[in-house]
Amino acid sequence: MTPDYYLVLAAILFTIGAVGVLVRRNAIVLFMCIELMLNAANLTLVAFSRITGTLDGQIMAFFVMVVAAAEVVIGLAIIMSIFRARRSASVDDSNLLKY
Amino acid sequence: MIGANQRFPPPGDVALVTMSTNLGRMTGYLGSYAVLGLLLLAGALVFVGAFGANRLLRPANPAEPAGKRVAYESGIDPVGGNWAQMQIRYYVYAFLYVLFAVESVFLFPWAVVFADPGYGAAVVAEMGIFVAVLALGIVYAWRKGVLTWS
Amino acid sequence: MEDLNLPPIDYAALSPILILFGVACLGVLVEAFAPRRARHPVQLVLAIGGSVAALVMVVLERNTRVVTIGDAVAIDGPSLFLQGAILLLGIVSLLLIGERSLEAGGPFVAQAALTVGSEKDNRQAQGAPGNTEIYPLAVFALSGMLLFVAANDLLTMFIALEVLSLPLYLLCALARRKRLLSQEAALKYFLLGSYASAFFLFGVALLYGYAGGVNLQQINEAVAASQNSDILLYAGLALLAIGLLFKVAAAPFHVWTPDVYQGAPTPVTAFMAACTKVAGFGALLRVLYVAFEGVQWDYQPVIGTIAVLTMIVGSVLAVTQQDIKRLLAYSSIANAGYLLVGVVAQNREGVSSTLFYLVAYGFTVLAAFGVVSLVRDADGEATHLSRWAGLGRRSPLLAAIFTFLMLAFAGIPLTSGFISKFVVFGAAIDGGQSWLVVAGVVTSMIIAFPYLRVIVMMWLSEPAETTPTVSVPGWMTSAAVFIGVLATLALGVVPSPLLDLTNDASLFVR
Repeated sequence: MTPDYYLVLAAILFTIGAVGVLVRRNAIVLFMCIELMLNAANLTLVAFSRITGTLDGQIMAFFVMVVAAAEVVIGLAIIMSIFRARRSASVDDSNLLKY
Repeated sequence: MIGANQRFPPPGDVALVTMSTNLGRMTGYLGSYAVLGLLLLAGALVFVGAFGANRLLRPANPAEPAGKRVAYESGIDPVGGNWAQMQIRYYVYAFLYVLFAVESVFLFPWAVVFADPGYGAAVVAEMGIFVAVLALGIVYAWRKGVLTWS
Repeated sequence: MEDLNLPPIDYAALSPILILFGVACLGVLVEAFAPRRARHPVQLVLAIGGSVAALVMVVLERNTRVVTIGDAVAIDGPSLFLQGAILLLGIVSLLLIGERSLEAGGPFVAQAALTVGSEKDNRQAQGAPGNTEIYPLAVFALSGMLLFVAANDLLTMFIALEVLSLPLYLLCALARRKRLLSQEAALKYFLLGSYASAFFLFGVALLYGYAGGVNLQQINEAVAASQNSDILLYAGLALLAIGLLFKVAAAPFHVWTPDVYQGAPTPVTAFMAACTKVAGFGALLRVLYVAFEGVQWDYQPVIGTIAVLTMIVGSVLAVTQQDIKRLLAYSSIANAGYLLVGVVAQNREGVSSTLFYLVAYGFTVLAAFGVVSLVRDADGEATHLSRWAGLGRRSPLLAAIFTFLMLAFAGIPLTSGFISKFVVFGAAIDGGQSWLVVAGVVTSMIIAFPYLRVIVMMWLSEPAETTPTVSVPGWMTSAAVFIGVLATLALGVVPSPLLDLTNDASLFVR
C-alpha cells in the first residue's frame, strides 16, 4: 500500500468538499464541506511527509488543525447570528444583497 | 507519476516476461479485493431487489387519522410550541473546550521533550507565552460572564 | 544529545508585528477589565498608539534586509515598505472606525449577540454606545497583514492569512444600521473566504510534495532542479493563486466584493479596501517573484488573462450600479486588475510600480469611503445614487472633494491615479506585455463613465427630495478625509519621493 493511494483519496475528498460547497444549501453542511477540504489537505500533507521523508508536513498538519478549530468558532458564531433572525438554515435565503 | 515509488517495466524482451509476472502478481493481490467487492455488490443488489419488490407489490393507501403527525410526548397531548429556545451557553462551552483541546495538542509534544539536556529556560518561557495568550482568552470569557452556568 | 541550536531571531526586525500583537492582547485585557465608559477612548488611543509605535519601528528598521526565525519571515525592502503602507493606511482607517459623532454611539452595534429585530435590538440601535471589541479585532487583523507580507514560508503565509481574515469576517457583521445586510455580508465573506483558504492550503500541500519543503527559496530551487512531476507544481501554483487572488478580488474570484463592501459598516469597508488589498498584493508579489521565478513564462499568460478579465468585469459591471458602495466595490475590482498588470510585468519596475499604486489607491479609497459615511440622514447612510443628486448645491465642499477623488480613480492627470496607472503601464510595456496595457487603457475609458456620471449627478442635477443634508463631520473623519485627499494630490503632483522609495524597496531577499 503505497502512499500514493492516500494522495488519491485526499484529492477525491477535496473534490467532494469543493463540489459540496457549491451544491449544498444548508449553511452548516456547507461549512462541514469546507472542513472536509481542510482535512483533505491535512491528509495530503501527511502523505507527502511520508513520501519525502521530512517531518515538515506533520508539523504543518498540527497548525492547520488549530486554524480549522478557530475558523469553526468564528464561522458558527456568524451562522448562528444570522439564523436567529431568519429561522431558516438555507443559504439561498441570504439574498438581500445582489448584483 | 509521483515520488520515487513508481515502478516502470524495464526495456527490452525482458519486458514481456516481467509484465506478465507483474500482472500475475497483481491479480493474486487484487483478486481477494475483487471477491470482496463482488460480495458487497451482491449484498447491495439483494437489498435493492427486496425493497424494490416490496415497493412494487404492496398497496399504497396511507391513512391520515387525526393526531398522526402531531409530535409525540409520551402519550399525553403536547404542550408548548414546536421550537425550543436554544441556549447560547452550550455553544460557548463547546467552543471553549475545542480551543483548549487544540492548545493541549501543542502541549503534549512539548511536554515530552522540554526537559531534555540542551533545552534551557527559554523553552519553558516560550510555552509560557503561548499558554498566557490562551489564558488571556479565558480571562476575557470569565470577565464577560459566560462561564457562569445560569 | 547535543545542545539545541535555536534559530536566530532578529527581534528588532520583527518588532512591528510583535508590537501590534501585544497591543491587540492588551486590547483584549482592556476589554475585560476597563469600566464601560472608559473603554472607547482607551481602546482607540491604544490601537492608534500601537500602530504609530509599530510604524516608528518600521522606519527605524528601514535598512534591514534579513531572513529570520528559521527562514520563516523575510524582512526586506518590499516587506518593510508594505508594512509601513499597511500601518499608515491602518491608522487612517482606525480614525474612521473611531468616529462616533456622526451617529449616536457610532457605526458599530452595541451588542452583536442580540437577535435582529427584537425589542432589545431596537432599543440598542437608538443610541447605545457601540461595542469596543472592534479595536482589538482590527489590530489583530493589522498584525496578520504585517506578517502576511513578510512571510517567507507558505505555512507562515497561511497562518497569517487566517489571522488577518478571521477578525475581518467578524468586523463585517457588526453594523448598527441595516444589521441583516451586515450579517449577510459577513456570512458570504466567511464562507467564500474559508473556501479560498482551503484551496490555498491544498496548493501548499501539493507544493510541499513537489519541493520537499514550503520555504519559498526551497520551492525556487525545486522549480529549477526537481525530478518530481510538473503536474504537482502547476496544480499547486494554481490552487495557491486561487487563494491569493480571492483576497485581492480578482475575477473570477471577485463575487464576494460587491456584497461584502455594500453590507459591511463603511469604516470596515474602507479598512478592507485599503489594507487587505495591500496585504494581498504584497503576498502575491512575494510568492510569484521569489518562489516561482523559474516558471514565470508559464504563469504570465494565465495571470495576464485574469488581469484583463478583472479589468473588464470591474469596469463593465460598474456602469450599471445604483449604489455608491457597490460602485466603489466594482472600482476596487477594476483597480485590482490594473495592479495585476504590474505584478505580471516580471521586472523590478513591475514591483515598484505595484507598490506605488497600492499606496496611492489606498489613500484615495479611504478618503472616498470617509466621504460616503458623511452623506446620511436620520435613517443612516444614503448610499443609493439617486440620493446623491444635487449634492453640489447643498454641500459644495464635500461634492468638490468627492469629485476630486472620482477623477483620481479615473486616472486624470494631477491626481495620484494618473501617476500610478502611468508607472504600472510603463512597467508592463518594458516587460513586453503591451496587450495588457491596451486592455487597461480601454477599460479605463469604460470605467470613467460611471465616475463621471456621479460627478455630473452631484453638480448638474436638481437636489431631489431624498437628497440628505450632509452631516458635520467629527474631527476624526475630517482628518481621515483630509489625509486621503492630500496624499492623492501630493502623489499626483510630486510623486518622485515615493517613486524613488519604491524603486529602492523592490528587491526581494532570498
